[in-house]
Amino acid sequence: MAEVKFVNVIKEFEDEKKGKVRAVNNANFVVKDKEFLVFVGPSGCGKTTSLRMIAGLERQSSGDIFIGNRLVNKVHPKDRDIAMVFQDYALYPHMTIKENLAFGLKNLKTPKAEIEAKIKEAAAILSIENLLDRKPRELSGGQKQRIAVGRAIVRNPSVFLFDEPLSNLDAKLRVQMRVELSELHKRLGATVIYVTHDQVEAMTLGQRIVVMNGGEIQQIASPEELYENPNNMFVAGFIGSPPMNFIKARLDGNQLMTADYTLTVPVGLLDKYKAYQKEEVVLGIRPEDIISLNLLNHQPNHNVIEPTLKVVEHLGAELLFYFNIGEDQVTGRVGADAKLKSLSKVKLYINMEKMHLFDPNTQERI
Amino acid sequence: MELKSVTDPQYQILLDEKKDFRRKTYKKIGLTIIYIFLVLWAVFTFVPLLWMLSSSFKDSSAITAVPPELLPKKPTLDAYKRIFEVGGMARWFLNSTIVASISTIINVFFASLAGYAFSKLKFPGRNTIFWVLLSSMMIPGQVTLIPLYILVVNTLQLENTYFGLIVPGMVSVGSIFLMKQFMSSLPSSLIDAGRIDACSEFGIFRKIILPMAKPGLAVLGIFTFVGHWNNFFWPFLITNTNSMRTLQVGLTSFRFENLQDYGAMMAGAVCSAVPMIIVFLALQKYFLRGITIGAVKG
Repeated sequence: MAEVKFVNVIKEFEDEKKGKVRAVNNANFVVKDKEFLVFVGPSGCGKTTSLRMIAGLERQSSGDIFIGNRLVNKVHPKDRDIAMVFQDYALYPHMTIKENLAFGLKNLKTPKAEIEAKIKEAAAILSIENLLDRKPRELSGGQKQRIAVGRAIVRNPSVFLFDEPLSNLDAKLRVQMRVELSELHKRLGATVIYVTHDQVEAMTLGQRIVVMNGGEIQQIASPEELYENPNNMFVAGFIGSPPMNFIKARLDGNQLMTADYTLTVPVGLLDKYKAYQKEEVVLGIRPEDIISLNLLNHQPNHNVIEPTLKVVEHLGAELLFYFNIGEDQVTGRVGADAKLKSLSKVKLYINMEKMHLFDPNTQERI
Repeated sequence: MELKSVTDPQYQILLDEKKDFRRKTYKKIGLTIIYIFLVLWAVFTFVPLLWMLSSSFKDSSAITAVPPELLPKKPTLDAYKRIFEVGGMARWFLNSTIVASISTIINVFFASLAGYAFSKLKFPGRNTIFWVLLSSMMIPGQVTLIPLYILVVNTLQLENTYFGLIVPGMVSVGSIFLMKQFMSSLPSSLIDAGRIDACSEFGIFRKIILPMAKPGLAVLGIFTFVGHWNNFFWPFLITNTNSMRTLQVGLTSFRFENLQDYGAMMAGAVCSAVPMIIVFLALQKYFLRGITIGAVKG
């Protein structure tokens, strides 16, 4: 059982210039046993601080942290039954790979034969058997990454902590390591807590994702849930690439008036928006829900707009196109067969079934 | 071939070649000037050393001969014989070796511990203590010399002992500063990794930090050893018997009221320079790496 639980955890730092800075504000969540949980958010949002508090490398200012039902507030990192993989790998440069892997076990006074067996096993899992006698400086970034993961595996911890482990790798290697980490999680059956600023990594790896901003947890949900039903404009804008479009509008009956067009809100959704009749709102629509009319086999009779495209970007399989509604820039994404051209006027259908409305003041989803 | 205008491609090529030639010539002239300067500099610094070496093999009349002899016409080992037989060179040499070696070991140990604490550990008042220490570097040594003498000689009664020679120089703020700067460049994540890998705090220092700090320790070791080896004034104050003198102090005993034994002094200086050269050559690898500390990432 390796559940990790945060109860009202607050972390404050003393900053020489800014005074007291609250890095994590009143965090409450439970990481389930054997779950792959990803913390995501922009830099300085408190995600790494949260991870370091779980590791015991930082002490929280107040609140309680539990690992597997045990209160660990005052427990030393080595006794928390955790292992951590660092962003810069943190391999000991003066030791061989084998010594790196054995270091923690040796400190824990593990018998030699057991250390050998564990290293052998981890090396086989990560296919690093041929690297054991080398020094870290002789390895490539991807290999170093593997060793860092290996050092965590040999400890056989109940919780793995990953601090942006893929951010120093090139794009191709990152994708490969992502798949490997996912497989590794299934194979080891341990709880994994993973910190990243890359929402693609978060979406692909996480069973659940914690989105943080400014020390506050914005939403904890599965990747699908985050994408389909973001709690607020921050989550909606952070998850998804390109991000969700936000367009200023005003609700009037079932009509949504934007600066240039009037759109029709589907009947099923109107009930939710009752309180915002005749009010300013922000319409949120994902790029893929703006569809070029020439790709549709039926001709919708409403929610069709005809803007002039500013730029069309060709990404191979798909096109990104940009236009304006009032002052808001809108991004759309369609298959490459739509054959859109820059500076042309095109008919676009907006799939309002997938729309979201946000309160412009609180930024919360309505 | 006739070149009609500046836009003619042939003309452009010619122009480029000309520019290229001019650039290369300037570069050559520049390098030549630099080399001449460096050679002069090398001669300038090397001549006194050569003079010391050659004088140590001269007899007393040859040393003061006009015009000076660059190389001794009748080389002799008399001066060396004198410093060992009359002066007690062997004993001074031993004293200097003991004092400089022990001071270096203690200095490196304390400075690396303090440097580690100041650069990597968080504790209240860390910056304040460090600034107080740093500001003490601004106090000239001469100001503290008399209080230090009173403390060591009158209070601690350490006159004319190895302790008296070593204790005041056991740790210096300069060394702490050097080690702090060096250790700041070591990644903190390694310390975190050590903590998670169940290493004790002192274990982290001994097993992770110290091995990585080797270049810094070597530089500090060289600096401290040279400093203590060449130190004259403090040993001069604190010792009063020939058997406790260090090498630098011992050499002065060849200066008499009306007469100076240059040959013996030069021979002593040669003997005193040899260990320095050995230390430098032995640690040169680290020393050169140490100079570029922080210059190269990774």
